[in-house]
Amino acid sequence: MERIIIDGLSFSLPLFIMAIGGIYSEKSGITNLALEGLQGVGAFTGALAAVLVAGSFSDQSQAPFYLAVLFAIVGGTLYSLLHALLCIRFKANQVISGVVINILAMALTAFLTKYLNRSVFGAASDKFVLGVSSRITVPVLSRIPVLGAVFKDLYPFEIMIVVAAFAAWYVMYKTRYGMNLRACGDNPHAVDAAGVDVGKVRLVAVMVSGGLSGMAGICFAYSISANFSSSIYVGYGYLAIAALIFGNWTILPTLGSCLLFGFARSGGYYLVQRMQMPSSYSDLVMTLPYVVTLLLLVFFSRYNRSPRALGEIYDKGKR
Amino acid sequence: MKGISRGCKQGMVRLLGDERRQSVSIPLFAIVLSLFAGAVVILFLGKNPVTAYQNLLQGSGLLPKPSYAGYKGILTDFTSFMNAWTPMLFASLSVAVALRAGLFNIGVSGQMLTAGFLATLTIGYSSLAAPVAKPLVLAVGILAGAAVGGLIGWLKHQFNINEVVSSIMINYIAQYVISFFINTYYVNPVSRQSNAVSKAARLTLMDTPVGNLKMDIPLGIVLAVITAALIKFLLDRTVFGYEIKCVGTSRNAARYAGIRVGRNMIASMILSGSLAGLAGVTYYLGYFGSIQPRVLPSTGFDAIAVSLLANSNPVGIIFSSFLITIISKGSTYMNSSSGLESEIASVITGVILLFSACGAFIRYKVKGFKDELEEERGKG
Repeated sequence: MERIIIDGLSFSLPLFIMAIGGIYSEKSGITNLALEGLQGVGAFTGALAAVLVAGSFSDQSQAPFYLAVLFAIVGGTLYSLLHALLCIRFKANQVISGVVINILAMALTAFLTKYLNRSVFGAASDKFVLGVSSRITVPVLSRIPVLGAVFKDLYPFEIMIVVAAFAAWYVMYKTRYGMNLRACGDNPHAVDAAGVDVGKVRLVAVMVSGGLSGMAGICFAYSISANFSSSIYVGYGYLAIAALIFGNWTILPTLGSCLLFGFARSGGYYLVQRMQMPSSYSDLVMTLPYVVTLLLLVFFSRYNRSPRALGEIYDKGKR
Repeated sequence: MKGISRGCKQGMVRLLGDERRQSVSIPLFAIVLSLFAGAVVILFLGKNPVTAYQNLLQGSGLLPKPSYAGYKGILTDFTSFMNAWTPMLFASLSVAVALRAGLFNIGVSGQMLTAGFLATLTIGYSSLAAPVAKPLVLAVGILAGAAVGGLIGWLKHQFNINEVVSSIMINYIAQYVISFFINTYYVNPVSRQSNAVSKAARLTLMDTPVGNLKMDIPLGIVLAVITAALIKFLLDRTVFGYEIKCVGTSRNAARYAGIRVGRNMIASMILSGSLAGLAGVTYYLGYFGSIQPRVLPSTGFDAIAVSLLANSNPVGIIFSSFLITIISKGSTYMNSSSGLESEIASVITGVILLFSACGAFIRYKVKGFKDELEEERGKG
């Protein structure tokens, strides 16, 4: 039981922060299917930074990890500018732009990983080995029966994510910028009439989604796969999109759906181990989050209200 | 400075200004731009871009290589290139049909895998004779693909589920479930892939001696080219084609005109899925003879590039799929001959995609330049 909660949380929280990024972008009116590519590029830049500095710190040091998170955020933000450029300046179809950006991200990171490994580190390899981040246990709280597991064996990034999520919630609902952002997704003309630059608000929103996705990417790389390779692209970005659609583009319900995905996954793994099934059965477990997503979408998509101007190119002259 | 920018504008207008030719000239512009960008990257890596691009053509059997192994020649390279081209052509047509209806079928890979797997199980492992087995493989592929595609269309119509999200979920579900079945029941312990299909069911005649060469002759390519023509006819000359185009352009206007939007969306997804199914069987029972577990074919994603590049025009797709296949197929030879990572090929494909996504913007800009120049001329 404890394991399910611990593993479930360490999967759902990165998913959650990525979904928040998606909410920012979509609430401002930009469809963002690029989350998958953004988290991949973020993880790539973060992992590269970590591998580059790894030699100058001792093995036990956590400094490379924090540096990696920082660079992942920067990398994700920079790469998201491409999506913003295509969607806002070049007025491209936002769905197509998102998919193009994902494909380019996969190709670029796969190429660069191989190339840098050969030319900088002198090894023929298609991954950056990172290791798993250390874990911490909160002393008193973790003793609470059952729920104490929430505070046990935490990855440090889980705390960072909770803080970031709270900040994101505050900005979205309690500040002037947040109000403009939400208005941009529903009625950009009104925002324009109020004297606010719609393009700028959307640009910042897409950049936020890039930064948060990058953070999520490096968290996945440091927990699930313990390296950076093309295995980072297994559809977590799309899972995050499903989570935010299911959460009706609001932050708290989205947390609920992310937790559901996380626990479906960790619960499934637990079952496979418990019943001592052969390892190929873990393939079936891997489908669980996706099946759950599809089923939930079947039941809830109809009641969803997406931002009204979502996916529409903002055209000043249009009535 | 002003003169230069004016010159640039004039050049752009002269190059791309003719609106009737824009459907060809703008994709060509995107390709040239991306190949140029690729060349800059290759130069930066310290290699000669001309040789690299030459290697791509040599690897695809379009230019002679300096030397060949026994029973090999430029023709064997070319037939093997056509072998890889067949699934790409089908997959791109699949993306194009869905795009016409305003749907983005990113699930082509999953549909290919499902169709390939089911055809392998039912026909590939049977002992049917070739004249029966080959058509049956095609039929199973079409049905399986159509079922998955139809499911996505139905989910969109019935439950308002974004087709991109649902088809990606189905991609992953198919990938893992099929990998489970292969690893549990059909795995070949040596190759770690599924057991090879029977020779009779294979859609490519492998290692067939022709003269003093041994070639792989893909039977599917004939079908693929005919299908492209048929799809062109269907989309441009029939009521069905007109209706899905209406649905794709404006769903509300189509509904107002009395077109049944939901039915058309599902129908176009069924058609798109069956084309993806054909891509799947020509890939798994033609190009390859087995299935690698846990891997989705990248063809399904490259097909998006092909289709966008051709503006989802079936005839244009014949050319653009030819080009993209050269890049992906030739990359292996480029890797062995000039030592460039073969991943650079997918980077170039990605850049082509990026530029062709900006097609509308280029068109808009060129129009702006044209108006500007005309205004200046009016003043002077």
